Parts: sequence; C-alpha cells; structure tokens
Amino acid sequence: MNKLKLNYTSLSFLPILVCIPLGYQLINNIHFGGFKLFQEFLISSFNPKIDNEIIITVIKRLNETILIGFFSWLVSIIFGAFFGIISSNIFYKIFNIPNFFYRIVRFFLTIIRSIHEVVWGILLMQIYGINFSIGIIAICIPYIAVNSKVFAEQLETIDYKNFESINQINGPKFSSLLTLIWNPIIYTFKNFGLYRLECSIRSTVILGLFGIGGIGTSIFLSFQTLNFRELWTYLWSLAILIILSGLIFKKIKFNTTNKILSIFFISIFFITILFSFLYFLYFIFNNNFENFNSASSLFKSSSDFRLFDFLKLTLETIILSLLSTGIAISLPPLVIGIFNNNTSKIFIKIFAFLLRLIPTPVILLTLLTFNNPSVSLAALTLGLHNAGITSKLLFTNLDSQDKRNYIAMKSLGISKKTSWLLGLFSHQAKSYLAYCAYRSDIIIRETAIVGVIGSVGLGWQLQESLSSFAWQEVTLVLIAYSCIAIVGELINGKIKNSLT
Amino acid sequence: MNNTVLELENISYKYKNDLILNKINLKINSGEKIALLGKSGSGKTTLISVLNGTIKPTQGEVKLFNQSFEELDRKQKSKITTIWQDLRLIEDLSAEQNVNCGLLAENNFYFAFKNLLNISSFKKAHKYMKLCRLHNSIYDKKIRKLSGGQKQRVAIARSLIQESNILLADEPFNNLDPKLITTIKNLLLENVDKNKTKKSPKTALVALHRLDLLNDFDKVIGIRDGKIFFNLKRNNLKKIHLEKIY
Repeated sequence: MNKLKLNYTSLSFLPILVCIPLGYQLINNIHFGGFKLFQEFLISSFNPKIDNEIIITVIKRLNETILIGFFSWLVSIIFGAFFGIISSNIFYKIFNIPNFFYRIVRFFLTIIRSIHEVVWGILLMQIYGINFSIGIIAICIPYIAVNSKVFAEQLETIDYKNFESINQINGPKFSSLLTLIWNPIIYTFKNFGLYRLECSIRSTVILGLFGIGGIGTSIFLSFQTLNFRELWTYLWSLAILIILSGLIFKKIKFNTTNKILSIFFISIFFITILFSFLYFLYFIFNNNFENFNSASSLFKSSSDFRLFDFLKLTLETIILSLLSTGIAISLPPLVIGIFNNNTSKIFIKIFAFLLRLIPTPVILLTLLTFNNPSVSLAALTLGLHNAGITSKLLFTNLDSQDKRNYIAMKSLGISKKTSWLLGLFSHQAKSYLAYCAYRSDIIIRETAIVGVIGSVGLGWQLQESLSSFAWQEVTLVLIAYSCIAIVGELINGKIKNSLT
Repeated sequence: MNNTVLELENISYKYKNDLILNKINLKINSGEKIALLGKSGSGKTTLISVLNGTIKPTQGEVKLFNQSFEELDRKQKSKITTIWQDLRLIEDLSAEQNVNCGLLAENNFYFAFKNLLNISSFKKAHKYMKLCRLHNSIYDKKIRKLSGGQKQRVAIARSLIQESNILLADEPFNNLDPKLITTIKNLLLENVDKNKTKKSPKTALVALHRLDLLNDFDKVIGIRDGKIFFNLKRNNLKKIHLEKIY
C-alpha cells in the first residue's frame, strides 16, 4: 500500500482538510433568503452604474483614498526603516549597546503590530471621534511595526565579516552603520516597500468601511442600501487605482547612481520626517485630545465580562486563524493544479484578483446573504481573501520558473497534472510554504476585521466593548489579541526558519 | 629606546571549547616586516583579528603604542589597517565606493553618505586603484561583477588608502598572478623599508603560505595549534623550523 510521505509538496496540500469541518458547518447554516440578493450582486458586476454624479463621487472618494493611503505608506515606510535599523542586531553591535535594549525594542514592536489597523482605527475613533487623520495614524501605527520587522530581517542578513571589516576601519559609528545598512535598506524598499503601497490602499478602503472616509465608506454605504450597481462602480474604480499604482511603480526604476534622483529622494525623506513630526504634534496638542473618552475609565469601569465567554472567544479566534490559514495555503495550488490549462489560468487569475480587490467585510456580508454567521463563514471569507494573495505569489513564481522539467515529464507521457505537480510545483513548495508562514501572521491579525463584521471571536467582543465604552474589556481583548498574535508569530518564525 | 608598536601579552583565545590561541607573547617593533607562517587552521587569522582588535582575547592584553587597546580612541585604533583573507568587501557597492570606505576613519558622516550616493570625490581612490593595477573600466563596477584577482586588488587598495602605520595582511597574494604578486608585494612592503612617504605603512605582519616570498621579510613567526613555535630573523630560518609547523 502506498503511504503518504510528508514533504513540502504534500504539506502544501494537507491543510485543505480544514474544508471538511468547515463545509459541514456551512451546509448546516445555509439559508435561501438572500440568494436573489447574491444573484443581483453578481449581475451588477457586469453592469456598474455610470453617470456624472457617481463619477464625481468616485473621483472625490478616490482622492481621499489616495491621500490617506499614500501618506500613511510614505510615513510608515520611512519610520519602518528607522525602527528596522534600531531593532536590528547590527545597530547594537556597532554602538556596543547591551542586547537587553534590542529585546525591548523588538518586543514593543511585536505588540504594536499584533493589533490590526482596523482595531487601531476603531479604538482611535472611539477616543477622538471620526477624523480624517485617524485613518493615517491607524494605518501608520501597525504598518511602521510591520515594515520595521521586514527591514530588520533584511539587515540581519548582513555578513558579520563585513561588519568586522568596516568596523575595523574605525570610522565614526554612524558612518560605519550607514555603509553597512545602505544596500539592504535600498533592496528592501525596492522589493517590499513598493508593494506596501497596495497594502496601504487596501487598508484605507477597509478603514473606510468603518467610516474613516475614502472609497471604502462609499462601498459600505452602497452595500447597506443594497445598491449593488453603485457598489461595483466603486470596486472597479478601486481595481483601476490598484492596477495603475502597480504599473507606475513597475515603471519607476530606482537608480541609486543617479545623483539628481538620489538628492530628490533624500529631500523627500527629510521633508516627510519633518512634516510627520509636526503633524503628529499638531494632532496631539490640537483640541482632539480633549475628546478623549476619559482615559481613567480604562482602569475604573466595571465589567460583567465572564471568563468563560472570554476563553470561548479566544478559542474561536484561534480556530478562525487556523481554518483560514488552511484555505489560504492549500486552495491556490489545488485549484491551479486541477485546472491546469491556459484558459482556466486566466479565470483563476481574475477570480484571485477579485478576492484581493473586494474588502473582506464586503465578501463576508455577501456570503451572509445565504449563510448564517459562524466561525466557518468568517474563516471561508478570510481564507478566500488570503488565497487570492498567496495565489498571486504562486503564479508569479511558477511563471518565472524554468519549465524544462515540466516539458520533459510531459514528453515522457506523464499526465499534465502530475507533470505540473512534480515538474513545477514541487520546486516552489518550500518557498511557497515559507511565504504562507509569513502570511499566517497577517491572517491572525485580520481575524479582527471578520470578527467585527461576522460576529465571531474577539473582534466581535471588541466592537461590543468599544460601543459600550467598557474600556477594561477593551484592554483585556487587546491583550488577548496581542498574545495570540505574538505566539502565532513565534510559531510561524520557527516554521519559516526551518524552511529557509 | 623602546620602539614596540604592537604587543601581545599572554594572549589566549577560546572559541566554544577550542583553544584557538594559547598564551601568545609577541612584540612587533616599528618598521619590522614579519611573515607569519603556519598551516590552515593554525590560528593565523585569529591572531590577526586579535591584533587589530576585532576579537577580544579570552585572556591577556593587546597593546598599541604601549597603551592597552581598550583604552585607545577611534583615531588611534585607525592606525592599523587589515587586508582580510576573505577580502570582506561590500558586494553591492562599486569598486571605487569600496576603496573610499577606507577613508571613513578620517572623514565625517557626510562623507559616508556622499560615498553611498556616489557623489563624493573618487580622486584618491582612483590613485590607489591605479597603483594596484586596476583598470579604470572597473572603477564603477559592482564587486560581485569582478574577478577574484580584481577583488583582491580592490581590497588591497582599500587598505592602502587608509595610509596607516601598521599593516596586517592575511594571505594578501591569493588570486594574483606572479607578475602582480611582485607589484603588490612591493606596494605593501617597499615603503616600509625605504620610507618613501610619511603616511605609508611602516610596519607589516603578513600571513603567508608561499615560502618563496619570505626574502622580503625581516622576521618569520611560525604558529601551530595556536602557539608560537618560533620567532626568528629570516636568515636564521631553517628547514627544521618549517617541519615543526607544517
């Protein structure tokens, strides 16, 4: 009898087993009340509303989205690089600072990034009220911490021998540091920083759903009024914006040897830092601060929050993360492997793009038209959205891979699917799993969004506690979120290290 | 008059459970050219790393100009320059940028910044690259695109541009053809003898494998298993000494 051998390829498919409990619960929860609405939603995608009024709204809303998205991206990338440097080993080695501080900075950043931007947004909105600046700050807080992690990881790859060599020249400490980190920082900015703009726009849209402004707010309002044609106008315009931003950045080549360009970027760098500080000071010392809903209540408010419920919600959040991660890992290779022809690939790519494009709360609300709220439904939503992202990476890697093995296997008469699996995918499985380990960190954080909308896990509790200004509960939920995210990050870090 | 520039007093270095250097005592006088011999893994590279302050010894003290290495400031420490066996160049920077890195000690942060932005002056770097027989077509090429011999000469140029008093070199003639070896050897050692320029290295300790290059050195030190087996004038070196360490 053939035994299943655990290798990177089989490990990529195994998590699809989460579909068994997930499917069971989804089938049990099915209802037919909203099928007509769902049908209307799908048809509207081909017939978006286009008139003068909506075009003006789209332009206005996109402007807001671009402004929030771009500015939060710029600030988070610059400060992310800064915190990346001060949370990297090389900084402490050059300045002979005890490792204790290194651990403190890292721990602090881990806590900051463990809380999703939506949670920061909701929290800040409760404190300061709906404010345009909230969007930027809510995105910047976790994004700076996320970016700093990526920059720090890249800086950790600096060869220790190079450090010794530059250090031995005995130049000023800052000169040695800059010389060593320059290339890893530029490399990370080129390969990761530009992609973060797309993420920043997506986050702006999601925050918009919660009232921050921009196109997200319009999407949410049109969904609430079941105006699907209008909804698709906003979604397609968002798609155009994301595609265009990607194309523009692909065209820009950052040539660090070009003197004028270098000076231009350095000027932008310093202006942004100066502006961000001034803006931050303005925000803090402005009247906004007076709107704070009494910080002291954080410690005073009485709570009838029961331990049993809290543990149940925490468990739900963990299960939600695991189920979503299973779908996000296994669905893309499974679908691409089964429908392995050029026409199917185009459809899969379009479908994956739509899953990335449509904000998770909108996907969840759409699915709620024919299914009751449950952990499975929230997991399906989060899993599908992230599968859209992992499939993009998988397609990019598969397309750029040497196909000689695949062609050779096919020429031997081996079936197309088997040739794809052994000749193409098996070479990608390891790096794909390593990326999925990183992705699952994000999935854990994203459980907050679907939790708020889908009435599951700690996200739901957070929304409830915030609405009733039960600050003690809010603190407890945030601590629980941080703990789950930190433990998840530790486990994923171990997995990623063993894979790379 | 005591003209000792570098001194090792009872130096031991332990890495994990291995004793890499074992109670080494060594004095290097100004203007001396010393060849360091020993088979691979004998502790030559570690000894050089201890001498330039990269590695802190587990036991003992390193003195530069009769002062403990720990007490020296950055400027004083920069009087030592090192050519590493594995070169340790920054692969993503150009050859001229790498050579300019040798000037970090005598310049401020702004210089480092300009060097990375490629807007600093490369005049001095080009002068030393030319001395190392590097063709100007490779000046702005990234290190990763250079051949082994070219990289070796870039590392040597980076060391020479520092114009330090003391040169420590770990097998600097690797990857070089015989004609270039003579040129580079003269470049590294000749000035020590003739004292042509004030700023060029006056004292040199060079780890070697090739015995035919010993003629240019005053003293020979033999090292085996982290211990100094002999420390002789070159003329006193006999076959029996070499048999002890190889």
